[in-house]
Amino acid sequence: MLENIIFLLPPIVACIILAGILSYFGNHILTRGIVFIDIAVAQIAALGTMIGILLGFAEESLNTQLISYLFTVVILGFFSLMRVKEQLLPQEAIIGIFYCVALGMALLLADMIPGGSNYITKTITGNVLWVTWKVIINCVILFVPLMIIHLFLGSRVRAVTEGKTGTTINLRQARIYDLVFYITFGVVIVKAVPIMGIFLVFMLLIGPASIARAFVSDWRKRIIWSWIIGSIGSMIGIYLSYKLNISNGPAIVSLVGVAAYLAAFVRLYIDRSEGKKGIISKS
Amino acid sequence: MMSIGFILPPLVACVLIVLINVYFGIHVIKREIIFIDIALASIAALGSATGIVLFHMDHEAHGFWPYIFSLGFISLASFAFTILRHKKITIPLEAIIGIAYAVATTLTVIILDKGAGGDVHVHDMLVGSILWVSWSQVFKLALTVALVGIFHIIFRKKFTMITDSFHDACKELKRPRLWDFLFYFSFGLVVVEAVSMAGILTVFAFLILPASLSAFIRGGWVAKLISGWSAGIVASFIGLLLSLKLDVPSAPVIIVLLGILLVLSFAWFKLSGKTHARKNLLKYGAE
Repeated sequence: MLENIIFLLPPIVACIILAGILSYFGNHILTRGIVFIDIAVAQIAALGTMIGILLGFAEESLNTQLISYLFTVVILGFFSLMRVKEQLLPQEAIIGIFYCVALGMALLLADMIPGGSNYITKTITGNVLWVTWKVIINCVILFVPLMIIHLFLGSRVRAVTEGKTGTTINLRQARIYDLVFYITFGVVIVKAVPIMGIFLVFMLLIGPASIARAFVSDWRKRIIWSWIIGSIGSMIGIYLSYKLNISNGPAIVSLVGVAAYLAAFVRLYIDRSEGKKGIISKS
Repeated sequence: MMSIGFILPPLVACVLIVLINVYFGIHVIKREIIFIDIALASIAALGSATGIVLFHMDHEAHGFWPYIFSLGFISLASFAFTILRHKKITIPLEAIIGIAYAVATTLTVIILDKGAGGDVHVHDMLVGSILWVSWSQVFKLALTVALVGIFHIIFRKKFTMITDSFHDACKELKRPRLWDFLFYFSFGLVVVEAVSMAGILTVFAFLILPASLSAFIRGGWVAKLISGWSAGIVASFIGLLLSLKLDVPSAPVIIVLLGILLVLSFAWFKLSGKTHARKNLLKYGAE
C-alpha cells in the first residue's frame, strides 16, 4: 500500500499543482469564450520546436526551447493586439485559423525532418505517471512568479475578461492586460503540455471550471471549486487507471468530462423543477 | 494534361466539400462554435471504433455497423448540444463541445489501445489522403452533399433565422430545438463523409478559412457564399496542382494558400474600408 502511494505521489502532486493554475486560467477562458486556445497554443509551440530543429539545434536543447517560447509569445502577442473595437470575426474563429495554419505548416515541415510526424502526435499523448520531482519543482519555480504577476494585476485582467472595456479601462490598457494574460497563459501551457499531454491539460482547463460555473457565481469561489474538482478528479482518475490498468491521461479526461456533462444535465433538471415551482407559487 | 486528369477526382471532392462547408462555416462562425466540426469528427470516430470492437470487425472501418454506430453517436451528440444550449446553464456551448471532443478522442484511444501504429493512424486521420480518392467515394460524397444541401436550401429561412438569433432566445421560429438538432445532425453527416476522405484538418480548413474570408466581404449571405466558394475552389485547384508538381502533401499547401488569400482579403478590406469611410466623410461632411 505504502509503496503504491510513494509511486503515485509525484503524479498526484503534479496534477494538484497544475489543476490549480489551470483552473485559474480556465475560468478566464470560459468567460472570454475562447475554449480552444490551449490546443492552438500547444500547436504553435510544437511548430516553434520544429523550427528550432530545422535550424539545426537538438530537440531538448535550450536553444530549441527558447525558440519555441519566443515563437509562442510573438504569436500570442499578435493575437492579443487583434482586439479591435468592432469584432468582425469572433476570437474563437481567429484561434481556429491560427490552429489550422500552424498545424498545416507543421505538417509541411514534418516532411523535411526525419521522423517528423512524431512531433505532431507527440503533443497529443503524454504521461503524467512518469513525472519526476525535479520536473514538479521546475514547474513551481516557473509558476510562482506568474502567480505573483496575476496577484497584482488580477483584478484588472479580470475586468478585461469580463468585457468591461470602455468604462474603467480603455482599449489600449485592455490590450496591455490582454498581452499579460496571453503571455503568462502561453508559458503555462507550453510547460504543462509535455508533462500531461494536450487533452489532459485541455480538460483540466475547461472541465472543472465548467462544473464550478454551473453552480457557483462568485469568481473566487469558482476558481477554488474548480481547483478542488480538478484535484479530486485527477486523484480518482489516477487511482482507477492504476487499478484497471488503463492509461491515466484518458482516464482522468473521461472522468472529468463525464462529470461535467452530468453537472450540466443536473443543472438543467434543477432549473426545470425550480421553474415549475415558480409557476405554481405564482399562480 | 495528364496531371489534370489525375487530380480531377480529388478536385471534384474538394469542390464538393468547399460548397457545403463554406455554407456551414458562415453559420458556425456566427454561432461561435467553430470547433464543432472537429468534435463531431472525433465523436463519429469513437462511434465507428465502438462498432468495430463490438462486432469484431478487423480493418473494416467503412463497414455497415461502424457507419451506423457513428451516425448513432452523432445523433446523441447533436441531441446533447441541442438541449444543453440553455440560458440557465452558464457553461458556454463551445466548452460543452470541447469536453465532448476531448472525451471522444481519449475514449477512442482507450478502445483502440491494442491496435499498433497509433502514430500513423493519428497522422492519417488529420491529413487524409485526398489525392488517392476514387470516383465511387466522390459519388458517395456528392450524394451526401446533395441531400444535405437540398434540405438546407428548402428550409434556408429557418436555418438562417435560428443562427441569426442564436445568442438570444428565438421567438419567431416554432420548435427551435428541432431545427437546432437538424442543423447539427446534417452537419455531422457531411463531416463523417468528408473527413473519411480528406482528413480532419483539411475539412476544418475548408470550414473556417473561406468562411472567415467572407466575413470581410460586405454583403448578405449570397455575396459571402460566392466569395468563400471562389476562394476555396481556387485554393484547392492550385494547391492540388502544386502538391503534385512539388511532391508535397496537398492538405498543408491548400491551407497555406487559403491563409494567404485570407490575409489578402483582410488587407483589401482595411484599404477599401478607409476609402469607404473617407467617401462617407466627404459626402456627409459637405452637407
